[in-house]
Amino acid sequence: MECFWTWCCDILRNPTWFYLLTTVAKLALVFAVILAFVVLSVWIERRVAGWIQDRPGPNRAGLPLFLLRPFGSKKEQPLAGLLHFFGCPPDGRIARLCRWLRLDREIPTFGLIQPCLDGGKLFLKQEITPSYVRKFYFILAPMLVLGPPLVAAAVVPFSSGVSTTFGDISMCVANLSIGPLWVFAISGLSVYGLTLAGWSSNSKYPFLGGLRATAQLISYEVAMGLSVIPLLMVFGTLNLQEIVTSQATDGWTLLPLWGGGLSIQRWVLWIPMALSFLMFATCIFAEANRTPFDMAECETDLVGGYHTEYSSMKFASFFMGEYAAMVIGSAMVVTLFLGGWSIGFGADEALATWNQWVAVICQFIVFLVKLLAFIFFFVWVRWTLPRFRWDQVMKLCWLVFIELAVANIILTALILYYVK
Amino acid sequence: MNPAIQAILFYVFAFGALLSALGVVALRNPVSSALSLACCLAFVAAIFFGAGATFLGIAQLIIYAGAILVLILFIVMMLNVKDEQPAAGHWCYCIVGVVIAGMMAGTISSAALRLPGATGGRCPVHVLIEHANELCPVSGEEQATQPQTPPAEYGGMLPSISMKDHESDVSLLGKRLFTHYNMSIVILSFALLAGALGAVAVGRKLRRD
Repeated sequence: MECFWTWCCDILRNPTWFYLLTTVAKLALVFAVILAFVVLSVWIERRVAGWIQDRPGPNRAGLPLFLLRPFGSKKEQPLAGLLHFFGCPPDGRIARLCRWLRLDREIPTFGLIQPCLDGGKLFLKQEITPSYVRKFYFILAPMLVLGPPLVAAAVVPFSSGVSTTFGDISMCVANLSIGPLWVFAISGLSVYGLTLAGWSSNSKYPFLGGLRATAQLISYEVAMGLSVIPLLMVFGTLNLQEIVTSQATDGWTLLPLWGGGLSIQRWVLWIPMALSFLMFATCIFAEANRTPFDMAECETDLVGGYHTEYSSMKFASFFMGEYAAMVIGSAMVVTLFLGGWSIGFGADEALATWNQWVAVICQFIVFLVKLLAFIFFFVWVRWTLPRFRWDQVMKLCWLVFIELAVANIILTALILYYVK
Repeated sequence: MNPAIQAILFYVFAFGALLSALGVVALRNPVSSALSLACCLAFVAAIFFGAGATFLGIAQLIIYAGAILVLILFIVMMLNVKDEQPAAGHWCYCIVGVVIAGMMAGTISSAALRLPGATGGRCPVHVLIEHANELCPVSGEEQATQPQTPPAEYGGMLPSISMKDHESDVSLLGKRLFTHYNMSIVILSFALLAGALGAVAVGRKLRRD
């Protein structure tokens, strides 16, 4: 046992092995988090849609009690017996709460059964590859949509670093000095998947969907790149870990309430930062192909969009790619504008001096909560706004956002130069 | 980074880049050619990453693979270009092709002969295999204490950017571009602007009213 322990220590003391092992562990964590969030955001989507648009549907279904004879049928009132067992009055507050939660009729499942069955259905459906498609690219396209968002997650920091006896661990998979650019570049590659899906389907409507997707993604990439430049001017670095660290000490970009964020300059800079946030968030919506920018899969004028000819899991992987892009986009917004993993109000440093590992775990949880909140915002917008028209989408990008972004850069430079 | 790992990755990516570059020429379908070119650009970007020029690599990915090549693909699909037919050769084309290929080969070989790993007419990979033990110390303690110095015959590590004073390669590149090459950048951007204006002028429809 001791021999094994010393062997482990020897391996960890070797910097190459240490780096390799920690990287693999971080990689597995990030991968698991993204895949879990893809599933989770599908569930959030359905629940919030049902809630906002008031549509009762399968997402509200539970396990009806009459299926389970031993527990008694609706007439036999198992809830009444249970309340009696715990000594609660049958028309008291607890009983009313239970009735409001429909506990007298079913075992609640919070709509979790529906996405599970949905996934199972997509797996078990017949896989049809039409005879007229270009087969190689037809199979390649869904992979190219699903892959890039998972790779782009490599630079997103999910916690501050810790120093162990064997060496320092930075809590993002690759601590590159070009963080946001890496995300833009890699998630920009998913446009190949959409284009190839449209083209290889060898049919008119998917082709139109693919062309729309390409044009939209390329255009909004320009606006997205320009809209974060003011932010980079303020922080003076492209490293995402450093950006988040400086937000933790000097106040989040959109909430400069502590540390160096209480200066006049930072509060004047709030105006271009807010503009930048609005533009960046909108561009993320467009990049993830989400309503109100889901021109590429507009059912009303293209039968289904670029994925019309796809079936079963290939069809599903397009949507997994869309949700993964949404998760990565939310992670980028949270990292750049909402403080990333930082707890805020100087709590990070206090926790880190007390216990590093507790700080890391707390920050990780805070990051996930922020991510969930922004995903909820994504879903909220989707079920509130109608879809734009195609020419409106293009006009918004080329005639509004790009000009506004350039003006915003000049404004930020002026503020940085004149307001001290 | 460990010089042996760096060199091995370099050769893997270089081989991939060469293979996909061959694909651009050899494949008959224009869409396949365009995608091979994308692969080639990605491999070259990976080589840039290995050399420490991360910004250059990512710029290559964003601009060439992410935007320009997608546009090319877009146009190829839009025009529905058919598979290339083997053209009847003319001896003129052959001569021009041979001259251009010869010039390219001369440029590349003169650059290759000046590579730091290739001193005295030796292949860098060969030297690497001969001195594998000296390049990667086996035990952990040894590696942690000793600085990694390649043997003399190896001719030095593959060229890479050294980060002095914690300055990232982005700021190094930016400073160089906006001081030393400032005039060239201004002239180039005017040329690009003229190109964009020309495209608008050619592409716009004249109104009848």
